[in-house]
Amino acid sequence: MIGAATAYYLCKEGAEVMIVEAEDLASGASGACDGFISLQTKQLGSHLDLARESAQLFPAIAEDLEVDIEYNRCGGLMLARNAEQLKEIRARAKKLKAAGLQVEVLTPSDLKERLPDVSKDIKGASYCEDDAQVNPYKLTLGMAQKAQEMGVTILKGCKVENIVVTNNRVREVNTTAGSIHSRRVICAAGTGSNQIGKMIIVDIPIMPQRGQILVTEARERLLDAIVSGAEYLGTKANIAGLMPADEEASKLGLGFTAEQTASGNILLGSTREFAGFDDGTTPEAINAIAKNAIGFLPWIKDLDVIRSFAGLRPYSPDGLPILGTVKGVKGFFMATGHAGDGICLAAITGRLISELVLDGETSMDIEPFSLYRFK
Amino acid sequence: MGESGDIDEIWRRAEGGAVAILDCREEIPCDPCEAVCARGAIVVGKNVCDLPRYDPGLCNGCGRCVAICPGMAIYLLDRSSRDGGARLTLPYEMKEEIKAGDEVWALDEDGSPLGKGKVVKTAKMNKRDHSLLVTVDVPEEWALKVRGVRIRVMSIGEPLEVRGCQREEDHLLCRCEEISRSQAREYAAMGFNSLRALRRFSRVGLGYCQGRFCQAMLVDEFSTAAFRDREGVGVFKVRPPVRPVKLGRLGGENG
Repeated sequence: MIGAATAYYLCKEGAEVMIVEAEDLASGASGACDGFISLQTKQLGSHLDLARESAQLFPAIAEDLEVDIEYNRCGGLMLARNAEQLKEIRARAKKLKAAGLQVEVLTPSDLKERLPDVSKDIKGASYCEDDAQVNPYKLTLGMAQKAQEMGVTILKGCKVENIVVTNNRVREVNTTAGSIHSRRVICAAGTGSNQIGKMIIVDIPIMPQRGQILVTEARERLLDAIVSGAEYLGTKANIAGLMPADEEASKLGLGFTAEQTASGNILLGSTREFAGFDDGTTPEAINAIAKNAIGFLPWIKDLDVIRSFAGLRPYSPDGLPILGTVKGVKGFFMATGHAGDGICLAAITGRLISELVLDGETSMDIEPFSLYRFK
Repeated sequence: MGESGDIDEIWRRAEGGAVAILDCREEIPCDPCEAVCARGAIVVGKNVCDLPRYDPGLCNGCGRCVAICPGMAIYLLDRSSRDGGARLTLPYEMKEEIKAGDEVWALDEDGSPLGKGKVVKTAKMNKRDHSLLVTVDVPEEWALKVRGVRIRVMSIGEPLEVRGCQREEDHLLCRCEEISRSQAREYAAMGFNSLRALRRFSRVGLGYCQGRFCQAMLVDEFSTAAFRDREGVGVFKVRPPVRPVKLGRLGGENG
């Protein structure tokens, strides 16, 4: 996704670009995720700013691409199951509002209007009207196709084997399909970024974090907002007051998410686990996600589950992306580490990296996302 | 509101020959029936959206209103044969040709077949008309139910609505997502590198059956389009559950 978005913005500026895909488009994290463009779940500060800028780009992208990316500004709900969570959500809503985001806190009766048949145990929710959804595969394909039309070459099933650096500058990328001469290389390899970093002897601290999701049968429109539980935010942003209560759930990093896609299937999530590069689904997680979902939306128990899947998110130590250059190797750029926000942040990442590559500076400050914040 | 005539009176008068029945329920701006009726039996009046007022006592069964009504909401009833049958004259605008002597399905207002009827004659009010007036004999008990006819395809065990598709390309390759073989073929030629990538974008095999029925056919199409061995294009990743299962069961309800 990030690679396609970056190529899209680069060639809009007339650059000559080549995408090297180890397998195929969206075969990594972007092929195994939901389509949340969720603003209210972002960390306050630069992370939120990035997401807001990105969200604003989507309508124009939807317009520009030939593929229907199923973009829908449906709004997002975050549900609180108890008084403590509601208090935390309320405090956060205040801060988000101060930062300029349209967020309102809903009482259970207000919530009923937006989400009929929600569990009676839900004590309240926050609602952000700017939250949206999109089809990640189609967004990736659409951007790649558009880029291709503008002259981008996409090498599929082609693995990067080495990056040649001489005189502190990137010169060449060796791949399974031959060598590509280029003085500028962008690492948008997601969970593979650590391995790419090693080729130029830079430690890019990305770990695969596994998220498991259930897919229900396709139904009529039952959910008209992207929905998450407070624990989802807790496990995502490490907020102590919003962590899952029981031990099993916290081990899985369980947080409730629900989204009905344009095809009618409901995606129920999700977990945050560290299991190396194992992208299998587990019975424990499947049962836990199902049980958790019924706790929020009791009616969902009558839907058929047709599939489970798991994706590996490129997770950086603080959950924020890693954007920018590396010291000592000219022409090497990083656009990675988006964790679970790759779809949401794809647009702005693509634009900023294209600015950085072509102009050497960016229209937004990306210093907070520098690799060197970790040292 | 209009007054479409006392049905008992119409029923009685039909013993003496054809008489129109108006089944107009749409309060839309429409009044050709008023203009075409030479006897003044149908009156819409000043407000063009009103339902027509109809006096069966004035009707001579000429059938002009049947041919003109854009909503196909008027037909003629004739019970003069007094043999327990009813003779209906209905507007017909389907593509299939219909002629006197044909056996047809008599259809109710939902288009479901009530049973067989026999075409007595067909006529056009004038040459430019699209509506054909089909006169058909049906049992008396359907006299007020029939709203249309359809050609009866003569074959063994004829299901009326289901027609086998003529070309292989039109077969549904993926039944859950309703993707035809020709559409799947187009996707397969888009240059994807693996079956899984093709699946994500085409949605073939992403539906309720998760590819249990269509995977083999998609492999055929893909390997042909990509000039690759069937073995070389890979298979869908198999993920639990192996068949659809209620979320409630996964969540611990009923074991």
